[in-house]
Formats: sequence, C-alpha cells, structure tokens
Amino acid sequence: MDRLERFYLKRYLKKPKRNLFRFSFVFMILGIMLSVGILSAGLNLFQGYETNLKRLLLDSFAHIGIQSSYRNLITEQQREMVFDRLSQRKEIASITPCLESALMAQKGDKIRAINLRAYDISAGFPYARYISAGEIPLQEKEVILGHYLAEELGLSIGDEITLNYPRLDRITPLGIHASQDKYRIAALYRSGFYESDRSLVISNLSDARALLMIPSGYSKIEIRLQDADKAAAWSKEYINILGPELISIPWNLYAESLLHLVAIEKWLIFIVFSFLVLIAGINVISAVTTMIIDRNTEIAVLKSLGATAGVIKRLFAYRIGIIALLSVILGQALGAIVSWAVEKQSFYRLKGEVYFIDTLTADITFFNLVVVFLVASILIFLCIVLPLKRIERMQVIDILRHKQ
Amino acid sequence: MILSARNLKKTYIDSDQRIEVLKDASLNVEQGDLICITGKSGCGKSTLLHIMGLLDAPDAGKLYLEDQEVTSNSPSAPQIRNQKLGFVFQFHYLIEDLTALENVSLPLMICGESEGKAKSKAQELLSHLGLAQRLNRYPNQLSGGEQQRVSLARALINNPQLVLADEPTGNLDPSHSQEVWNLIKSLNQELNQAFVIVTHDIETAQTADRVYELTDGVLILQ
Ligand SMILES: Nc1ncnc2c1ncn2[C@@H]1O[C@H](COP(=O)(O)OP(=O)(O)OP(=O)(O)O)[C@@H](O)[C@H]1O
Ligand SMILES: [Mg+2]
Repeated sequence: MDRLERFYLKRYLKKPKRNLFRFSFVFMILGIMLSVGILSAGLNLFQGYETNLKRLLLDSFAHIGIQSSYRNLITEQQREMVFDRLSQRKEIASITPCLESALMAQKGDKIRAINLRAYDISAGFPYARYISAGEIPLQEKEVILGHYLAEELGLSIGDEITLNYPRLDRITPLGIHASQDKYRIAALYRSGFYESDRSLVISNLSDARALLMIPSGYSKIEIRLQDADKAAAWSKEYINILGPELISIPWNLYAESLLHLVAIEKWLIFIVFSFLVLIAGINVISAVTTMIIDRNTEIAVLKSLGATAGVIKRLFAYRIGIIALLSVILGQALGAIVSWAVEKQSFYRLKGEVYFIDTLTADITFFNLVVVFLVASILIFLCIVLPLKRIERMQVIDILRHKQ
Repeated sequence: MILSARNLKKTYIDSDQRIEVLKDASLNVEQGDLICITGKSGCGKSTLLHIMGLLDAPDAGKLYLEDQEVTSNSPSAPQIRNQKLGFVFQFHYLIEDLTALENVSLPLMICGESEGKAKSKAQELLSHLGLAQRLNRYPNQLSGGEQQRVSLARALINNPQLVLADEPTGNLDPSHSQEVWNLIKSLNQELNQAFVIVTHDIETAQTADRVYELTDGVLILQ
C-alpha cells in the first residue's frame, strides 16, 4: 500500500467521527444494513427449513430399505440372511424388520386412512426420540398414534381406537370381510414431519400379524446408517451382497429430488434478495458521487501535487469501503437477530400440509455467512468503484477555475 | 535550461466565440531565475502557467523539461508534477481537513516517503519559513499570509526544479503580500530556487530578474 494511502487510512480510523460516521452516510448505512439483514434472515430461514426437512426425512425414515424383488414379503430365511450378512458392518447403525400396511382407523363415526408400521419394539425401536407423550415399550394391543391423527380423532393416551383391515380378496355376498380390532393408545408420536404425524400408527409385530393375518414375513427391512449421505453407495454394495432376491433402495431415491428442489428454491430466494442489496447500492453510488463533488478541490489539489488518479480513487474507496463493510457485518448481525426472533415467535406457524414441516427454524451456517458477506461486499464494491471512475476524467483546471 | 515553452497556442471555444488566449508564447527558464509575468486581466497568464505546470494541455507548441519533451497527460506527468515542479495558486488550496504540517507533508508521502520522515522534513521547512508555531493548525486557523506561506512550503518541499506561482499575493493585503514576496526573493537568492510568478503588481515585478508582459497571446520581455 502506498504511503499516502496508509496515511489517509490511519486518519480515517483515528478520527472515525470526522471521517466515517457522517450524516451523509446514514442512508447508505441503513440501506446496506437492512438489505443485508433481510438477505441473511431469508437465507437463514430457508437453510433452517432445508436442514430441518432433511434431518426429519433421514431421522424418521429408513436410510436404506431392503425389499423383496418380486413385491412379495421378505421371508424369515431372507431376514436371517440379511442379518447374517449385514449386522457386523461398521457403517450400519441399526437393522429393523418392519411390517407395513394401509389401514382404516375408526373412532365413533370418524374414519381416517392410516399407515400401520409394525416393529418388534422391544428389540429396538429407532424412532423412540419422537415419542412426545406416553411410554414404550408397548404392551399387547397397544399402539403409538401420530399426534395430529390423535388430535383429529379427538383421542388421547389411554383411549381406544379401532383399526380396520378391509380384505378385498374376501368379498362375500354380505360385503367386504374385514379384520378389525381395538387397541389402547399408549404413546403419541411427533416428528414434525406433517405426513407422518397425521397418518402414522405404530404397533408391535405380533399385533399387526394378527390383524393383517400375516403369520410370518416382513414388508421390508429398515437400515439406518451412521452417515446417511453415503446411502446410495452402500445401497449399491448391498445389492451385490444380498443377491437377486432382494433389492436395496436408498432414501435418496424418494427424497433427494425434493431436497434439491428446496435447495434450488433457497438459492433463488437468495438471488432475488440480493437485488435488495443492489438497490441499497444505489445509496452507495449516491454517497460516493456526493463525496466526489464535495471533495473535488481536494481531488484537484492531490492531482496537482502529483497523486495519480488510481491513488486518489483508493483514498476514497477506503473511506466508503470501511463504512460499507461495517454495515454489511451489522446487517448480518441484524439478519441473525431477525431469524432468531422469527424462530421464537408463535403467531405464525408453517402450514404442515404445504411445507411438510410445521415449525420455522433458522440455521446459520458458516458457509452461508461467507456467501452473504462475499456477495454483498462484491455488489457494494462495484457500487463504490464504478462512480469513482469519474475521478480519472476530472481535470484539475476545470475544478479550480470553477472555485474562483 | 530547466524549462522551455516553445510556441504555445491555446484557443477556447465558448458558445460560438473563439478566444485565442495564447498565440505564440515562448519562455525559457534557467537555473536560479526569478521571472515575473504580468498582463491585463483575462489575457491568459493563468492559462500559460497551468500549461507550464502540466495541469493543462496546449493546442499546439511544445514544452521541454530539462530538454525532454513533456505533456500533461503522459503517464509520467504526475511524477513530474510531484518532483520537478511546485505550484502555488492564487487561492491557497490547502486541504481543510489536514493541518499545516500534514498539508506540507503530502507531496513527500505521494512520492513514497514515510509519514514520519515526511513530517519531520515538513516541520523543518515550515520552521525555516517562520511557521514553527503553526504546525498543527488547520488552514482555517491561519491568516491569509500564513496560508500562502504554507502553500509555498508545500510547493517547495520536494526541492523542485521550478516553482510556478499564480498571483501568490493576489488575495493578500499589502503587508502580508510583502511578507510573501520577501520570502520568495530570499529563497531565490539563498537556495538558487527558480520561480516563475504571475502578478498584477508591476512595482514588485520590477524587482525580478526578468519581467514579461503577456499581450495578444505573446510574451514580450520588458
Ligand atoms: N474553460 C474555459 N472556457 C472558455 N474560456 C476560458 C476558459 N478558461 C479560461 N477562459 C478564458 O481565457 C481567458 C484567459 O484566462 P486566464 O485565466 O488565463 O486569464 P488571466 O490572465 O489569468 O486573468 P486574471 O488576471 O484575471 O487571472 C479569459 O478570457 C477566460 O475567460
Ligand atoms: Mg489568472
């Protein structure tokens, strides 16, 4: 850095009141702070949504599902084979066989379509963290109910619910022969993933076998990994290990495109909000222009003393640049505060049926902080540098003659 | 020869009027010269001085500095303005935000001197010009004569070959004016510093080595 530049920079920092915090900069500072604040808050909330959605998808579903290749049930031998071949593997956190079926739930005259998932709960239940009320393990003829489902049916813990399995292959002259039974609600399930919370019923395997009249076999085997992001790769390997009778389906196959969509939406919003910073940049341009006009004598004098246009431009750029940078950082702090406030408030909840999850959460990541900082800084840098070009064209004589 | 201006021409076109300010102005400046230029108001004295100070470009004619041709928009012009020439304007044009000392240090820092060294040199020069008590004053805390002495110091600080001064005493009362004149003369005599000075004051101009009058765009030795 040039000696003169160093001298000016030192002055700016030593006497910030005289050089930096001028009234003429107030709107510039506010503009940058607000726009960067909104940009960061928007990104934080979208990031929160994305992170939350992904976590829920990964936490409340299997990372890899093993199913029969022929749409049959998985037999007991096949289950044993899967356990034999996979249970020692380090990347696997848990292997849980599951029986699954669509059923009707009935309470009084209210009927809902539900999804029954049955596990051998005493042998290990990977979703225990979502039990929001009541207790597991389940006793005989007890179930766990999604909490929205319970709410819709007006049920709570200890109440009874009728599950009904309409067997379409047993249509008789008297109608559909159904298999049905009553169950006690032992616990409520709340993951935050709206679809599960309003349609899931979890029971013990033995109860499900009786109701569904399936004495043996499983719909699928749920595998949870230590690192869900590697699901696709492991899944490919399991196909080789398990042979042609079974197929292995990673979570990505269902959910990745959804997550991609959410990520794209996030960056689209980011781009749209970046235009706010560009609008704030107009204030920067006007502050720089005003400063050039205010200080044109100084520019002329420095030029007449032999300072090059480049050096003079930098003297001015530092001055505005310091304030602008400070405003960007303050704006990012503002964004963090706004996203924190949005997270804490209780007036507005997301519509679960539209957004899959019902709570707004903000996620401030280092990467996003850097991205916002860089994008805002670059936009504002351009708004500083472009009007400064004018200094190159300014002629000493034109300025000084006007002053006389 | 320090500076040589040869056949300078400058024409202004104002609305549809052509003003031929300089038609064929030539001037040679040697080491240690003290040259005065006089002339009627509006005859083009400032224009001539600006061209010689590389602050403006002539329409035709050439300017040589130490036998090298120079122009105001060449890449080396800033460096020449900084090191070889000093310019004093009629109005002092000190930077209001900077103290007298800092103003005088500027040309040194522009050519790469450290702040500390620049300031100690500037202090020395200002003391020599009788401003030792005014170092840390801002321009608006100085009298007109003091302001002009500070701007003279600023023009001198890089030991230029030539100082160009455009009515350096034009805004001053007679006693301050005399003070600045005496200073210029003593610098010329003691340090052999060359000056080209534009002035209205014909009486003082007579005390210079050479006096030119600018009439009809031509310099005429008196
Ligand atoms: N940019 C310009 N456009 C048009 N005319 C100009 C311009 N600059 C100067 N002039 C004209 O050129 C002429 C010479 O101007 P200059 O300032 O050189 O005169 P001067 O001799 O210094 O006068 P003074 O003694 O009053 O300072 C004047 O008539 C002035 O009006
Ligand atoms: Mg003049």
